[in-house]
Order: sequence, then structure tokens, then C-alpha cells
Amino acid sequence: MSGFFSQAQQLQAPDVAYQAVLPMLLVLGAACVSVLFEAFLPRERRWGWQVALTVVTLAGAAISLIVYGNDAPKAGVKTFSDVLTIDRPTLFLWGTLLLLAFGAVLLIADRSVEPGGAFVAQAAIRPGTLQDRVQAAKVGMQTEVFPLTLFALGGMMVFCAANDLLTMFVALEVLSLPLYLMAGLARRRRLLSQEAAVKYFLLGAFASAFFLYGIALLYGYAGSVKLADIATAAAGTNRSDTLLFAGMGLLVVGLLFKASVGPFHTWTPDVYQGSPTPVTAFMAACTKVAAFGGILRVLMGAFASTNWEWRGVLWGVAIASMAIGAVLGLTQTDVKRMIAYSSVAHAGFLLVGSIALTSKGVSGTLFYLLAYGLTTVATFGIVSLVRDADGEASHLSQWAGLAKRSPIVAGVFTFLLLALAGIPLTSGFVGKFVVFSAALQSGMAPLVVVALVFSAVAAFFYLRVIVLMYFSEPAADGPTVTVPGAFTTMAITIGALATLVLGVFPSFALDWAGAGGFTF
Amino acid sequence: MLQAYVPLVLLFALAGAFALFSVAAAPYIGPRRYNKAKLDAYECGIEPSPQPIVGGGRMPVAYYLTAMLFILFDIEMVFLYPFAVSANALGMFGLVEIALFVATVGFAYAYVWRRGGLDWN
Amino acid sequence: MTPSYYLLLSAVLFSLGAVGVLVRRNAVVVFMCVELMLNAVNLSLVTFARINGSLDGQVMAFFVMVVAAAEVVVGLAIIMSIFRTRRSASVDDSNLLKY
Repeated sequence: MSGFFSQAQQLQAPDVAYQAVLPMLLVLGAACVSVLFEAFLPRERRWGWQVALTVVTLAGAAISLIVYGNDAPKAGVKTFSDVLTIDRPTLFLWGTLLLLAFGAVLLIADRSVEPGGAFVAQAAIRPGTLQDRVQAAKVGMQTEVFPLTLFALGGMMVFCAANDLLTMFVALEVLSLPLYLMAGLARRRRLLSQEAAVKYFLLGAFASAFFLYGIALLYGYAGSVKLADIATAAAGTNRSDTLLFAGMGLLVVGLLFKASVGPFHTWTPDVYQGSPTPVTAFMAACTKVAAFGGILRVLMGAFASTNWEWRGVLWGVAIASMAIGAVLGLTQTDVKRMIAYSSVAHAGFLLVGSIALTSKGVSGTLFYLLAYGLTTVATFGIVSLVRDADGEASHLSQWAGLAKRSPIVAGVFTFLLLALAGIPLTSGFVGKFVVFSAALQSGMAPLVVVALVFSAVAAFFYLRVIVLMYFSEPAADGPTVTVPGAFTTMAITIGALATLVLGVFPSFALDWAGAGGFTF
Repeated sequence: MLQAYVPLVLLFALAGAFALFSVAAAPYIGPRRYNKAKLDAYECGIEPSPQPIVGGGRMPVAYYLTAMLFILFDIEMVFLYPFAVSANALGMFGLVEIALFVATVGFAYAYVWRRGGLDWN
Repeated sequence: MTPSYYLLLSAVLFSLGAVGVLVRRNAVVVFMCVELMLNAVNLSLVTFARINGSLDGQVMAFFVMVVAAAEVVVGLAIIMSIFRTRRSASVDDSNLLKY
């Protein structure tokens, strides 16, 4: 007995830099506590406790992040036997995620715009039945959305920090599975919402299968799934390039899908339109941050040495994404779908920064993500305000003449759309400027020219909405603009103010974004 | 060297003998009562409850719920096998980790239990 | 026994799954095809573990199995909820979301 066991070598317990990973542990721990709240609290008290827990957790995680970030080693630390890297970009991405999630949680928790919140009272109710109509008027909501949000956020945080493809895969699923469910929880238009959930789920599962097969092939190529080992294997030759490039291709397709980069964007408009608007805000802002964090790390960490072979392909993908987003965005008649196509175009611009593969490119992309995320959260906050008897009035024709009904809402929305279009004095302009200048410096002038053309085309459909709001006569039975409660007001204010501040004084955020590079 | 396998061979022999004995002896010593259930493709002694003709003989949703919960909790336990074979090498750290893992699964279990996922009906 | 045959088999299974996702119309069958793809990956991982002489691939297969199970549960729940309304699991019927 003892003879057998003594043969086994005593394994060294891996070192865990608890202070560095504290924000992540807090979020995931709170998600577990939140599940227990759901289990043991009586129904009527759940909402209050869940909101309090979520907000306190986000604040606590942000404080621990700031405390750690102040004297974090510049080179970053690797922890959990090197599967996670907490370096400067990780810290910036975590901060961005926490801030954006805070805005999204405010929208999710709001119960003033839609009486009782934007979420279904009981998800098992069949759409279109009598019970469904009753629940639409009821005050309660399915508070499971809070633990789901926290789990998704935790997954995103792990995803940005993962230094190992297996960890990345598990994190990808941890962030995706809650989002699939959250997409199906809308209080009104239940069928649309469920349809969005089915589509998101089937396409998402398909994409993660590709991601996984990519991991398997890279494991076969390098004998390890650590990014650094793959980079070493790719630098020394005499192995099968087929495995390397097939693996990389499949892996990157999975990542591009999550980031909704065209031509892998097909789920985006449907899911953005069908999901409850606060969830759309959460996934539009946070998923993009996490996915591009992952793309940056994978491209820089594992494949930088072979960029001659693949960079051309990603040029094509970036151009396709910008073209699809800008051109199809023009033809949309629904506000949420239009913003979805705008996000596809933005994903193309972000990809331009990501394939620069320089420290300028990294810091530019990180800044762009922060700016874009904040603008997006505020934009969806505004979208949730314009309503008619049927719920949100998201058809563009219903937005005609909105400025006459509610000048403030129309004004803020105009400002946000200008930021999405990239007009100077908004954060969108600074973001595009830093990304494109990084791309120019790494010798991608033709791509930058194409990107500029498409950002001009995309600006047109934002202007179309602005013209519609200011220079059209409002319809007689048009929608009303709800006066938002404290939560939604706060989310929109944070987003809009940040868009302005980052547009006028961007240097402090640019300094944070450029404070240090990746460690692998 | 090969002697180590003698108990194993004995066990196989015993198992085979028991199987042969059961099959051979059943017709002689077992009672013979034929009924409808005996003629079913899968015989378990209970007649299957009639399926509704409308809706293609579907099962109540509770079956699927139970099956899904089973799959989930069953598969989670796959991590206990690698832990079990190297528990000694992993030492205290491994024990704490696996306790945390089981506790996390326990949270989900508590949720399912409190929300009536385990009630049949 | 050449391990590369297993890789070939895994590639064939993965492609079958991918084609199935693209051509089948029933959400549950589409979903089964995704599961086939994941299991094809498991076969690859285990084969590569054998070729590389390390156990990492087998451990990864464990993780994939667990993740796949979680995905099954979430997926079936979503498909079931829409099926109860539509009385059909065909993906062609999900056509409300388009322009």
C-alpha cells in the first residue's frame, strides 16, 4: 500500500498571486453567492439583495484592481502554474470590463423604464398565452439574470488573462453559456427573444467547436497549449506547417465569431435585436472587450513570428467586416439592428489595430475598446427609453421627429451617434485616430485608406438617424420617451460623459492603455 | 509473475459459471407465468404506460429535466477520478482544491433542490 | 497501428458534424452534430497525447466533456422553451428575426 503511494512524486502546489487575481476571484465568488441567494431568499426580497451584491462586488473588484495596479510589477505576473497572466493589458481590460459591466448592470437592474424590469417574470411561461400577458404587467422579474451576468463577467475576465488555450476555451464557455440564456429572457416579444437565444446558441456552439479543433491541432503541432510554447515551436521549423496554420485558422475563426467580426457576424443583428436591451448592452460592450483581448493576446503571444503568412488573410477579414457593417447598416430599419451592423464595422476597425502587432497597436486597440464600450452602453440605454404601448419602439420610422418630443434624449443620442461615427471631440475619433496611426506605423497604409473610406460610409447611416430625429415630422401615434429612473440615468450619464471626456482629454486613458505590453 | 493473475482468472471463471448456471437452471426451477409485459422488446416486468397518440407519444418535460440534471452532476464528477488516483501526490493543496470544486457543484445542487428541480410532478 | 489514421477519422467526423450543422433543419439534430464535432476533437486530443507522449491531451478531453455536458443542458433548455411555443424544432421556422 504505502509502497505504491510513495512512488508518486509529491507535486509542488502552484503559487497563486492572490492579490493579482483578487478582482477575478471576487466576481466568480460573488456569482456563487448570488446562486445561493436565488436558492434561499424569498422571491420578493431577491431583487434588492441581488442588486446590492452585484454592485458591491463590482465596486470591490474595482478597488482591489486599483490597489493592485498601483504597485503591480511592470512585467506582469504569471500565476496558477502560468495559465493566467496579469500584465498591464490584462489590468486595463479588467478595469474596462468592470466599468462596462457596472453600466450594463444598472440597465439590467432598472425597473422604472419597463415596470418590473426588462426581464421575464418566469422564463418557463409560453409566449402568447394568457399567463404571458399577465406576467408582462407584473412587477416581479427573473432575478437569475444577476448570477448569470456575474458568471459571464467572470468568464470574460479569465478569457482576457488566459495564457493557455485550454483555459481560454473554458473561459469562453463560461462567458458564452450565460449569455445564451440571458438573450432569451426578454419580458416582451418573448418569441423574438427565444429565437435570438436559439440562434445565438447554435451558432455559438458551432463556433466553439471550431475554436476547439484549432486547439487540438495546435496541441498536436506544439505538444502544449501554452501560448509561449506554441510561439517557440513556430519559431523553430521542421514541423508540419499544415497543423500550425490549420489550427490557427480554426482558432481565430472561433475568436472572430465571438468578436462579431464579419463575415462571421451572422448572429449579431438577430441576437442584438431579439435580446432584452440591457443584455444587448452588456454583450455588445463586454463581449467585444473580452474577445478582442483574447485576439490580441493570441496573435501577439503565439503567432507573431509567422505573421508574414497570415496577416494578408486578416487584412481581408478586416476589410470584409468594415464593408459588411457599413453597407448593410445603411439598409436597416430597426435601431438595434443598425447598431449591430455598426458594431460589425467597429469590429473591423478594431481588427486593423489588432493586426498591427506593435505596442502602439495594442494600446490603441485597448483604448478603442474602452471608448466604444462606454458609448455602446449609453446608446442602448437611450434605445430602451423610446417606447410605445407594445414595449420598445425600435423601428426607425418611430424615431422620426424625436427631437421635438424630447430634445434632451435626442441630443444625447445624437452625441453618441457622432461618437460612433468618429467625429472629433468624441472618444470615437480619438480611438480611430490611435488605431489607424498605429496601423500606418506598422506599414499597413492601404488598409488604413480602406478603413477611412468605410468609416465615412458608416458615418452616413448615423447621420441618417440624426436627420430623421431633427428634421422629420413626428408621427401622430408615435412613441413616448419614458423618464428614466436613477439607474438608467446613471448608466447613460456615465457613458455619455466618458465619451466626452475621453474625446477631449484622452491622454490619461491612453497612458493607462500604453503602460506596458503583454507578458507570455 | 503470472501468479498475480490467478485471482482474476478465478473471478472470471466464477462469473462465467454463475451466468451459465443461471441461464441453464432458469427454465427448470423458475415459475412460468406469461403476460403481455413478457412479450415486450425490453422486458422489465412492468407494462409501459400508454403513450398519447396526439403529439407523437412525447414524454412529460419532467423526464428531460431530470435527465439533464443527471448528466450535469454526473459529468462534473469526472474530475474526481484523476484526483483520486493522484490524491497522495497532490497532498493538502489538492484536497482543498477538490473540496472547493465539490462545494461549487454543491451551490448548484442547493439551487436545484430549493427551486423544486428534484420534485417529481 | 498508425496514430495518423485516428487523426484522419477525427477529421472526417468533424467534417460530418460541420456539414450536418449546415444542412440539417431540426435544432436538436443540428445540436447533435455540434456534439459530434466536439467528440471528434476529443479523439484528436487523445491521439495527439499519444503521439506527443504526454497526458495533457487526455486531461483536455476531460475538460471538453464537461463543457460539452454543460452546453447540452443549456442548449436543450433553450430549444425546449421555443419548442413548447412553436410545436416544432425546425430552424427554418425561426424566421421572425430578419429585415
